[in-house]
Amino acid sequence: MTWSGFLQALYGSAVGSGIRESGVLFPWIESIHVLMATTVVGTIAIVDLRLIGYPSHRRGARQLILDLLPFTWAAFALAATTGSLLFTSNALGYAANAQFISKMVVLVLAGINMAVFHATAYQRIGQWDDALPTPLGARIAGATSLILWIVIVFLGRWIGFTMQ
Amino acid sequence: MTFHEIADTLYTTPISTWLRETAGIIPTTQSVHILAIAVVVGSALVTDLRLAGVLAIDETPQTVVGRYLPWMWAAIAVLLATGAIMAVGEPNRVLTNFLFWTKMILVVLAFCLTLLFRYPFLHPQFQVEHPRWAALAKPVAWVSLLVWIAVIFCGRWIAYAI
Repeated sequence: MTWSGFLQALYGSAVGSGIRESGVLFPWIESIHVLMATTVVGTIAIVDLRLIGYPSHRRGARQLILDLLPFTWAAFALAATTGSLLFTSNALGYAANAQFISKMVVLVLAGINMAVFHATAYQRIGQWDDALPTPLGARIAGATSLILWIVIVFLGRWIGFTMQ
Repeated sequence: MTFHEIADTLYTTPISTWLRETAGIIPTTQSVHILAIAVVVGSALVTDLRLAGVLAIDETPQTVVGRYLPWMWAAIAVLLATGAIMAVGEPNRVLTNFLFWTKMILVVLAFCLTLLFRYPFLHPQFQVEHPRWAALAKPVAWVSLLVWIAVIFCGRWIAYAI
């Protein structure tokens, strides 16, 4: 199956046409998407600020990360699910939208940044858990993450203004 | 003067026209608005779940509230400012909208709950042990979280309920 054939199939699927033709499904799914996206960004921002060196409600960075990560992941799973449903309703349109494509690229970059942090600075968190200022690796990871997620929010909101 | 007349008058003002017709202002304002919502959601989630006794219960409520309340105030100020830009730019989409006014009532409610049940923690002599207050603290934490969620839903639905 080609890529455009796949998009066409999504568009024509029962889920895609159901969301497209219902007057209320799209806004409901979109509202959940906004709620979950803001939960992801809000909880990540708390961790990012701690990595940059801004004190949090936890003295230790590790405990803060363990506190908030379940919320971030649960919200991300729901944001991705609702996002996929919204995509299905107009698969060809979103796939051709520059803001949507950029948002997906920046999401991947945010994932890579997180993976690099977990493979490097996080491996030595026992040494800097309580320490302020935080090591350079943690500060770079935190600042990069914060910037990328701000860009993701902007691109996400901009999709709504640029869709055909 | 009805809301419709106020909206129509506002619509014809130069500032409203400028906000509406300058490319990028409304989308940028909405993006900043959503980022400020993320700050409120993050702050409200940690604070309310702490006061509900679910998260970080080995930290004092004073620590948690003291850490997040200033961020919440700042985010609410940004939300009011960006919200005002949207209302002036597109008054017929906002001021005449039933869900907008529902949202405003809920925002005032969330603000009062924050003021009554969060702000006192910042006072050094504040005692959580006051029985009447303590009995309310947990349910109010859940209500506060639900009110913020309702605010977000109303906000997104404004666009669909013109």
